[in-house]
Amino acid sequence: MSRPIQTLVDWLDDRTGMRKLTRQALDERVPGGARWRYVWGSTLVVAFVTQAVTGLFLWMAYSPSTQTAWESVTYIQHEMTGGWLLRGIHHYMAHVMVLLLGLHLLQVVVDGAYRAPRELNFVLGLVLMLLVLGLALTGYLLPWDQKGYWATKVSTELASQTPVIGSALKSLAVGGTEYGHHTLTRFFAFHAGLLPTLLVLVLVLHVALFRRHGLHARDPNRAPDASFWPDQLLKDSVAALGVLTVVLTLTIYYGGAELSAPADPANPYAAARPETYFLFLFQFLKWFPGEAEVWGAIVIPSIVLAVLFLMPWIARSRGGHVKNVILLFCLIGGAAALTAQAIRDDYLASWTERTDANAEQFDASATFLAAKHQAQLEAERILELARAPEKIPPTGALTLMHEDPYLQGPKLFAQHCASCHNYVDPQHPDSQLSHLVNEKPTAPNLFGIGSRQWISGLLDPKKITSPHYFGYEGSPFVGDAENTEMVDFIQESLGEDIPEPQRKEIRAAFQKIAAALSAEAKLPLQDEIDRRDQETIAEGRALIEGDLADVLESGSSCTDCHSFGEMQDIGSPVLDGYMSRAWLIDFIRNPADERFYGEINDRMPAFAPHANARLNQLDEKSLGLIVDWLRGDWHRAGARR
Amino acid sequence: MVESNMNNNRRTFVAAIVAVAAGALATLTPLAVGVATFLSPLFRKHKNHHVRVALLSQVPDDGLPRYFPVLTDREDAWNRTPQQRVGAVYLVRSAGEAQPIAFTAKCPHAGCFIGTTSGADQFKCPCHTSTFRLDGSRVRGDEEVSPRDMDRLPLELRKINGENGLSVTEVWVEYIDFQTGHKQAIRTA
Repeated sequence: MSRPIQTLVDWLDDRTGMRKLTRQALDERVPGGARWRYVWGSTLVVAFVTQAVTGLFLWMAYSPSTQTAWESVTYIQHEMTGGWLLRGIHHYMAHVMVLLLGLHLLQVVVDGAYRAPRELNFVLGLVLMLLVLGLALTGYLLPWDQKGYWATKVSTELASQTPVIGSALKSLAVGGTEYGHHTLTRFFAFHAGLLPTLLVLVLVLHVALFRRHGLHARDPNRAPDASFWPDQLLKDSVAALGVLTVVLTLTIYYGGAELSAPADPANPYAAARPETYFLFLFQFLKWFPGEAEVWGAIVIPSIVLAVLFLMPWIARSRGGHVKNVILLFCLIGGAAALTAQAIRDDYLASWTERTDANAEQFDASATFLAAKHQAQLEAERILELARAPEKIPPTGALTLMHEDPYLQGPKLFAQHCASCHNYVDPQHPDSQLSHLVNEKPTAPNLFGIGSRQWISGLLDPKKITSPHYFGYEGSPFVGDAENTEMVDFIQESLGEDIPEPQRKEIRAAFQKIAAALSAEAKLPLQDEIDRRDQETIAEGRALIEGDLADVLESGSSCTDCHSFGEMQDIGSPVLDGYMSRAWLIDFIRNPADERFYGEINDRMPAFAPHANARLNQLDEKSLGLIVDWLRGDWHRAGARR
Repeated sequence: MVESNMNNNRRTFVAAIVAVAAGALATLTPLAVGVATFLSPLFRKHKNHHVRVALLSQVPDDGLPRYFPVLTDREDAWNRTPQQRVGAVYLVRSAGEAQPIAFTAKCPHAGCFIGTTSGADQFKCPCHTSTFRLDGSRVRGDEEVSPRDMDRLPLELRKINGENGLSVTEVWVEYIDFQTGHKQAIRTA
């Protein structure tokens, strides 16, 4: 050591006594030599320090309110340098910490390290365990995503079942009667303030008592005594590095911690599950029918905890220690088995076939997996919206979700349209929207409406009578029904008796008509080809307005029945603006309007025909969302909203 | 001498009492104020909303469950947001019935969101797999983890008149939050 540094250290030592303190801290005797089995306590301290450090930096970017929690976490995760890694380490270290707690507890009990005079330190250890579990529980809610929201809802509901004080307990945790800003501020204050402070205080006592009584050696004569520094510390440090490696591996393997869609009280989340370390409690509850639930949720866990706390005194009785060890193994084994069972129940459908014997379990698992997949899609979508140049509005990401046709369209369609209409791509029927498939439709398939492909199908003599167009059950447009003019017109125009060269010409004319009619829809996805095919579209328009009569043997054209362009006041449905946003909205408002089907409309309800919104089935916003979704008019990555 | 000792003892005793009292008052007063603020949710009452959830024409009497979000003005501490989704109900109208039954989607077991699929003949809770019939009763009775049948909400039909003598019927429900885990449906205070 150079002289100036030596002088400085001497000065500091004189004022603080730090040499003695350091010696006291590092010169702990390890009877029987350093061992790997003593590392668990130290790894827990390192895990806690990791959580404190990563937590502090997360805190610097986190904002607890219902309009900013998910939003700020998304920002940390996706916009801040290394944010995903920071959050990932915090998240997976929490998992590993619970595991380390189990190992530490196991080692202390198996080694009998809880016996006199260390009883009190064992009790402090259990208090630390409860504090860590409290941190795990409160941290889960903070991202305010669907997963954390619904899991916390369940845990606070369970807390409300505590006899006598349950209701008050829930109110205090939630910060009111409904989940909102104050649920977050409270959980955050507990997670980042109260619980860590208590943890540090108890940890100081825990370590102080540990030093007072010395290390409890399992086999003091096994080897010569060693010193904590550097023998045991080397093992502790290697173990800590091992823990970090595990955490980093998990973080990198899973690409950071999961963040599902923002919490939405009205959006069912059928995959609501607690974090892995609480899954055993979740599974345990399935064993308690009816009002016995309180036994599974509160009474039995409390009794188990009480027994754990009494272990040092139980060990004093004859055979008490063995009983403790057996009990602990049973508890940890039981928790592991319940966790495995919960995971098996949830993922069953991913590796087995459905049989009569497993039907119920299989269906529950399939629902879980579908909900998880759906939630994942929603999370990806909301992220796409949040990362658009406009970013998230001050009202929060839920606004983005609620105003997004891509997310809301299918839900509104399922609620209002799917009982009659089908929605499936005939070319790729295994779409992600399989829940919108109507096997027995009583109205046309609305997939791709207004597109060239869809209109070409309408002008195809075979397709027009398929269930995707007018061939659905009870259709008034086919067979012996009253209004078969359109189907007859298409089928006669391309009848089998027409010579091939002429058929070819008619088909070409129909293609142009399809292009022109589809251009009326102004579909965003067709914008480019509509601009490119101006000439074809102009020809198509002329054909619709009357030129088709020159191509067809019957001498008929579209404007014999429909109003379009210069040919007005002829009939309906009016083809001007066909399937455009305004046309479709007006159509859904009232399909029986004279611009559309008039008296021919035999089934479709008028969803919003009245000026007074209260009289309508559909509000303006929902109507717009359904129409935008049907027309594929939603934000896509890389574009401005 | 004895008197002086007694005086000393008395003084020490008084000093100790005053020291503890003053110290406690100084440190506990801010704590008490904090705790009082922390307890403020206990003094707030839960408000149940009367909400228009649908038109009667949207609930045909086919006995099938229909899902409707509950939209109402939502107060969350310092925010009041109009027409927010605060939950959901299922309406079921049996054949020939004038009035549907309204079920809250909150499971009486642990508060998860009960689900159903179109054309399904059951309600199912995705968390602990409680299963209910379309009338809300538990499929396996007391064997089911849910302690009671699905919670019904008070429902009211209101007629309103529009233009040209038109009249429509609205379905209104009182959206009540019930406590979980009990055999009886108890409202959240």
